[in-house]
Amino acid sequence: MPNSHIVSSFGEDIKNLRQKIVEMAKLVQEQFNNAEKALVERDLKLASSVKDRDAIVDQIEQEIEQKAIELIATRSPMADDLREIISAIKICNALERIGDYAKNLSKRVPVINEEKQFVANTTVISQMISIINDMTEDVIDAYNTKDADKAISVWTRDLAVDNLYDSFFRELLTHMMENPRSITSATHLLFIAKNVERAGDHLTNIAEIIYYIIEGRTIEMVRPKGDLSNETSF
Amino acid sequence: MTANSPKMSAKKVNVFYGENHALKDISLDINPNQVTALIGPSGCGKSTFLRCLNRMNDTIDICRVEGTITLDNQNINDKALDVVQLRARVGMVFQNPNPFPKSVYDNIAYGPRLHGIAKNKNDLDDIVQSSLKKAGLWNEVHDRLDVSGTSLSGGQQQRLCIARTIAIEPEVILMDEPCSALDPIATAIIEELIEDLKTRYAIVIVTHSMQQAARISQKTAFFHLGKLMEMGDTTTIFTNPRHEKTKDYITGRYG
Repeated sequence: MPNSHIVSSFGEDIKNLRQKIVEMAKLVQEQFNNAEKALVERDLKLASSVKDRDAIVDQIEQEIEQKAIELIATRSPMADDLREIISAIKICNALERIGDYAKNLSKRVPVINEEKQFVANTTVISQMISIINDMTEDVIDAYNTKDADKAISVWTRDLAVDNLYDSFFRELLTHMMENPRSITSATHLLFIAKNVERAGDHLTNIAEIIYYIIEGRTIEMVRPKGDLSNETSF
Repeated sequence: MTANSPKMSAKKVNVFYGENHALKDISLDINPNQVTALIGPSGCGKSTFLRCLNRMNDTIDICRVEGTITLDNQNINDKALDVVQLRARVGMVFQNPNPFPKSVYDNIAYGPRLHGIAKNKNDLDDIVQSSLKKAGLWNEVHDRLDVSGTSLSGGQQQRLCIARTIAIEPEVILMDEPCSALDPIATAIIEELIEDLKTRYAIVIVTHSMQQAARISQKTAFFHLGKLMEMGDTTTIFTNPRHEKTKDYITGRYG
């Protein structure tokens, strides 16, 4: 363990800030898993609770930002402390976005539930969210244990989410062309899949930030990119 | 001299106070037109090193300096070198403002008179005026050049000492905690002045304020127990220091 601060309250402040980040990450992870469950089981009550609880995510984000600004103003942090505090602001912003995607997913559940004509299989979305769940788990672990290798492993794993999104995109396009009545639900599912894919991107960003906290430099590799849907046409 | 070559260069400098080995194998370069900050805990040797740069340690009987320190490639520890001339080229500003108990005018004029820089009274007047202007003090004292230097405020006294230093047109200015006795406004004025002075001189500053080192210097050297632990670009030292000891010191942890 690194040496502790001579002013012990500063050390405590940083510890508390880190705990808030972990708390927020776990809440966002839970939100995403519940949103997925609400979608698969058409559980409108659960969907509504995910939507409501996004306010808590936003609240924690504000607390972290406020605390980080206070620490910069009052402690004049340097070196790894400075990286830690600036990164806390960036991580909580990324988590807030991921939380928004979970909320957005849950808002689409009632619409998809109303759809009587056609609903595509949501297995792929579940698969994507399962990877997001694992990535979040590992990103929290990398943050807690200051494990740079684990951060890189999260960073590279986003490729699987991209690939699933890409194939799901093609599948939905096919459905829509074959059956125009599927367009409403397919479009909603496409937005959901896109949002999950974006959540993966934000998690890779968080992994990059964690790497920076630990190593003091950015990851010097080219990340494997899988999302080719923007080049796809029929 | 090319623009990139160091103004001063220390190679394997060792300093002893009697039995006490105060500085161990210090090698570092001072670049022209840059501020080099020396930081480190009390007793780490940073002030001792600063005092090596214009041979202030000569005044201490038990002090022995080994190694070479060059100014424009000339060894300043050469016993044949005129120390008074050296100190004219490498000026110094101290922690506590120490104006002479003379008028503001005579405080500035003292050096030029001593070194025979001014040809006549007009010349001397010009030097006094331009030095006070460069030190950012002219507007505050131009109508009372005859009052005693010691009657000025602390911040003004420190700027008077800086004006006194630059009156003899040095090439390097050494500053030993020049703001430690000043309030934040006076400190900001001195820092603004240092920013301006670095366009003409090489500046070496010892400071206990990490924020001050970060604000005003381009290079930072961290001393610990008589050794130079780490030297590098200031932004690197304060965001991503290589050495664990540097990190512990600048972030306020137990060393």
